Amino acid sequence: MHRARRIADRLIGLSAAIGVIGIFVEVAVILVDVIGRAFGSPLFGSQDIITMTMVIVVFGGMALCDRMGGHIGVDLAERHLPWVVNRAIDVAAAVLGAVIFVFIAWAVWESSKLSQMLNLSTNLLRMPKAWFQWALAGLALLTAAGLLLRAAEMLLLGRDVRVEREPPR
Amino acid sequence: MSGEATGGLGVLVLLLLLALRVPVAFAMFLVGFVGIWLLNGWNAAMGLLASETFTLASSPELVVVPLFILMGNVAGSTGMSRQLYDAAYAIIGQIRGGLAAATVIGCGGFAALSGSSVASALTMGKVSLVEMERFNYDPRLSTGVVAAGGTLGILIPPSTGFVIYAILTEQSIGRLFLAGVIPGLLLLALFVLLIWGLCWLRPAYGPPGPRTSLARKARAVVGAAPIVAVILLTIGGIYGGFFSPVEAAAVGAGLVILYGILARTLTLAALREAGRDSVVTTATVMLILIAAHLINPFLALSHIPSAVGDALAALNLGRLGTLAVILAVYMVLGCFLEGFAMLVLTLPIFFPVVLELGIDPIWFGVLVVLTLEMGLISPPVGLNVFIVKSVAPQVPLGQIFRGVLPFWLTMLVALAILVAFPQLSLFLPNTMIN
Repeated sequence: MHRARRIADRLIGLSAAIGVIGIFVEVAVILVDVIGRAFGSPLFGSQDIITMTMVIVVFGGMALCDRMGGHIGVDLAERHLPWVVNRAIDVAAAVLGAVIFVFIAWAVWESSKLSQMLNLSTNLLRMPKAWFQWALAGLALLTAAGLLLRAAEMLLLGRDVRVEREPPR
Repeated sequence: MSGEATGGLGVLVLLLLLALRVPVAFAMFLVGFVGIWLLNGWNAAMGLLASETFTLASSPELVVVPLFILMGNVAGSTGMSRQLYDAAYAIIGQIRGGLAAATVIGCGGFAALSGSSVASALTMGKVSLVEMERFNYDPRLSTGVVAAGGTLGILIPPSTGFVIYAILTEQSIGRLFLAGVIPGLLLLALFVLLIWGLCWLRPAYGPPGPRTSLARKARAVVGAAPIVAVILLTIGGIYGGFFSPVEAAAVGAGLVILYGILARTLTLAALREAGRDSVVTTATVMLILIAAHLINPFLALSHIPSAVGDALAALNLGRLGTLAVILAVYMVLGCFLEGFAMLVLTLPIFFPVVLELGIDPIWFGVLVVLTLEMGLISPPVGLNVFIVKSVAPQVPLGQIFRGVLPFWLTMLVALAILVAFPQLSLFLPNTMIN
């Protein structure tokens, strides 16, 4: 289990790092486009790069978001419920989250087949849409794996990684 | 089972899951997906899940979210927020309640950079609470002012709240940003007046700070010039028609990074940390938005919004009466739900009613966002209050809530003014964007 956590943390850190790179790429591309436009030569295909990079930014940070307990919840009842019930809810919510991300990956993967069949691509740079759908599906699966591992740790080890101070690097 | 019954059951299950502390996004996903499956079949549910997920994750309008978050995070790392506070402190710190007023002004300025109430409360809290404690400010005033001042972040543009409202209701982000300017400044002015009123009534609340020399005042103002320049360039760029909101966000983020590098206040590690925080916050926001785009069609298919509309119409309260009921519901919900989640959950139900009544959606957006702000400092889940508690652990929570109360009432007054005078919200968008 500890080895699985180490591997998962590395993958989560890598996925977040890709997201971080994505966000800086977006800043750079838009800045080049804005400055270029001021001189009469905007960056060709900037919109394509920005929108497709956004997919990586959004889903790149998803696994880390869960690892750090970033999802918004309403914790009004927590203080009034016994510890065991709270832990059971945490485990069930993590499993539910994993199922949701598996469904997202599955639905987007199926949709990517359609994109390939119809040869769908971005407007200007002609980047195949399926590439980014695969990336989204992969990152969603990683998030699902992270959620499942978290559920297993809570169930078997009584450990909740969300409350640990040090996030994965 | 009829559509309405399925919808009603879905809402009940959603509320139950939320009460059980299931993350808002997961609960909305589950109810939305299963609801559409029951009402329209498996293929419709899977098709919507695939299309909405990818469409929203690659939405050009939503690029503004991570970029403004990044701008705020980097601005916090570079100490730009401290410089704003220092300038306000140098100018008005020596008058009674001046440090508290400087905090509110600093919050307003930082809000114009970060777009986040929580970030404003956290950053300004770290900077100002120590100073106010040093000058024997009453903890009720000092903590109350930080919690309330932080809420300006959601009203003063750029505001994440407005972006989310715009996406959910298909309104113009630029018009909403413009609509928030006067109400934001009005609220800021009311907060400052309240502080002076409180300190006039009870001088021990906020004793005068130290006198500062003219040279120090000038230095502090010059120090705040970069942050003011970034605000003017980004927000002014949108209003002047030079940038789209997305471009303004990227320009703002680029400028604060450049400033941090030139001023040597931004390390590579801090930049990486700001980037990581930004992708995590983006993931939180975007997952809820994607889930909202699953639950909205489910609610529409089940005719819940029209049933609510019919029920409100049956009350025969008229336009303003119905608006008052909706805002009252938001205020009550704000006591229990996180503001952003509340927006996502309730807009699909209330917004069609608002349109039906002929209420201006931009005006309604400003009113809703202001009530969300009130929720940020309402017990028992006022998020900003807990943020302040984390910065000032020695002050009891009850005392912070007592300190926040006058500010909450001031917000209620601001809400009443904005309801009575819609032009305060609509003047700028109607005159500057045709």
